[in-house]
Amino acid sequence: MIPAFIIIPVLAGGLVWISKNRIFIHAINLIGAAGLLIISILSLIDINNNKVIASSGLLKNIFYMDSLSGYILFITTLAFFLVSLYSISYFGQELKKKVITIGKLKLYYSLSNAFVLSMIIALTTRNMGVMWISIEATTLASAFLVGFYNNKRAIEAAWKYLIICSVGIAFALLGIILLFYSSTVKLGGARISGLDWSYLIKYAVALDPSILKIAFIFILIGFGTKVGFSPMHTWLPDAHSQAPSPVSALLSGVLLNTAMYGVIRVMSIVNKCLGSSNYTGNLLIVLSVLSIGTAAVFILVQQDYKRILAYSSIEHMGIIALGLGICTPVSIFAALYHTFNHAMTKLMLFLATGNVYLKHHTKKISSIHGLIKTMPVTGIVFVLGTFAITGMPPFGVFMSEFNTVVGALFSKKYLVTALLLLFLSMIFAGFTKQLGKMFYGKNSNPEIKQGELDIIGPAVLIILLCITFLAGIYIPTPFKELMDNTTNIILGMGE
Amino acid sequence: MYNNVLNLLAILILISSFTLVANKRQNAYITTFRLQSLLLALISLIISVKSMIETKKFDEVIFIFLLIVVFKVIVIPMAMRKTSDRVEYKVEKDFFINIPISMLICCGLVVLCWYVVHHVEGITNPTTENYLIYSLSVVMIGLFFMISRKKALGQIIGFLVIENGLFLAAMMTTDGMPMIVELGLFFDLLTAFLIMGIFVFKINSTFDSIDVNKLKHLKG
Repeated sequence: MIPAFIIIPVLAGGLVWISKNRIFIHAINLIGAAGLLIISILSLIDINNNKVIASSGLLKNIFYMDSLSGYILFITTLAFFLVSLYSISYFGQELKKKVITIGKLKLYYSLSNAFVLSMIIALTTRNMGVMWISIEATTLASAFLVGFYNNKRAIEAAWKYLIICSVGIAFALLGIILLFYSSTVKLGGARISGLDWSYLIKYAVALDPSILKIAFIFILIGFGTKVGFSPMHTWLPDAHSQAPSPVSALLSGVLLNTAMYGVIRVMSIVNKCLGSSNYTGNLLIVLSVLSIGTAAVFILVQQDYKRILAYSSIEHMGIIALGLGICTPVSIFAALYHTFNHAMTKLMLFLATGNVYLKHHTKKISSIHGLIKTMPVTGIVFVLGTFAITGMPPFGVFMSEFNTVVGALFSKKYLVTALLLLFLSMIFAGFTKQLGKMFYGKNSNPEIKQGELDIIGPAVLIILLCITFLAGIYIPTPFKELMDNTTNIILGMGE
Repeated sequence: MYNNVLNLLAILILISSFTLVANKRQNAYITTFRLQSLLLALISLIISVKSMIETKKFDEVIFIFLLIVVFKVIVIPMAMRKTSDRVEYKVEKDFFINIPISMLICCGLVVLCWYVVHHVEGITNPTTENYLIYSLSVVMIGLFFMISRKKALGQIIGFLVIENGLFLAAMMTTDGMPMIVELGLFFDLLTAFLIMGIFVFKINSTFDSIDVNKLKHLKG
């Protein structure tokens, strides 16, 4: 099953080049994305029955999946499918207005397939070295996507993204080298299994705690740069705001989770080796509170609606890290649940901004008014999405944030909880004060006509709205089981 | 003997990164980088030959030697030189901090690395400890080089030096990572270099300069 995950994006990314027909190109990519989604659902069923999916033969030492990888992979493929569907509308409009050429469309599709391919490899590999290589490859594949429009700002954002992420992630490699050193010294063993996380977690107790501690710091900084923890977050608002909206949605909804996955794997090895979660937990909690605080302050002063959403991604990654740092069953469950909710809600918001941008050609909040009247579907989804992402019931984000707060209170982290609630309310105030101006009032620009641009764009938004709403009131049993298994794996109780 | 030679080469790599910080012109950086990569290649050659003699079996590290020689010693410096000729119109001062102070900061970084590595109790072997100190210092100096230069090319060289430090760490502390990882690392690095090179041209054509200080439209 795993080879299919690799073959589909390669084929889809290659086949878009053989034709000049716009519809053919859209269709190839959409079929590929749908195929990926179907395989990931099939592999989730397989994982629920057999716990793991292991490859045989040549790829035996490279590929391996358990519930954690399956879960994140499902979010990735679902998001990629929805973004592919939306891209038909977004880039169709851009083609119509001659902002981009058909060649650029092909470039977009093959790069986004390469981007998803590198994330799939990161999530399905059992070798930490290969995981590092593919997380670095995500940066390389998406650098041109960030600089897609080739104007001054886009190139600046792409350069910043490329340099900060490549350098940051170099530290993660240093951490992985230390981990490998510790495993070769303490466990002996063959070279190939020394980087295998399933092997490392099995024999974690035998590893050297002092080396693992310093390795964890390096890896946390390295992958943390990619996750967007403050103070390494500076690339994130620029990249998210300058990229085309479908790319911003993928960056925020999918890429950040993949990087977080790397942190989670190492965290569970280190926790098992040290025998408690205090060390990793404290580091994660400090970084998460710092990230949420930074986001809360910066959201208040932004003038660009996509930058607000970018800072909100930093905030939500902080909340996930907080859940992981507290490291009780409740909080880890909340963190996993939040990963899904954040991905879907943020996807919805970024895609909504895509519709707004196509119509208004500006990212400035102050030049947009009366969105609900001019674009009824996008406007209403945007308003509801704003409430959803700031943690209002009945949406999914509320449920998972609530669980995180409960988890923090149960483990007697009162100061952290108080700070979290303070920052969350600041973020709510910031969002409503800033974005509220866009929704109401009267449209004063005569060039903006009433109505949506097409059907597909708003339809994707409505699908996402349904998903986020349903996630807030009901978790299907197989899903609950999956998340419980994943929680056990992270806590090191899976074996 | 074997350990002495390796130790000497590792120290020379560290010294070459100091030289890099002292260089004023772009062409000088490129030459220093080439020298550093050559030293790294020598280390990989010695490690692989020794293990081939000891085990009487073919050792994969020799591939790393070939890759380093072909790409880091020949191809990348040549491409850098060409890029630098094409985008460089005039020679300007390229650093924020003057060279004596930079050297002092680099010395401080080495001491810091020594302090950090020395206090990790798990590293019991003194030779490994030394190698880790050297490689971590090379990484740190590369990072400092990146932030102290204004030109995009200087930043790329800094990035490549950081990667050299990582290769040094991987080879000296663990006798090489699994082959697939080493190869993957190498091609990742090569693609990163290519993409950064393309962006240098893009920056040059949109901003009429490769001074990254001019990239300040996005703030806050």
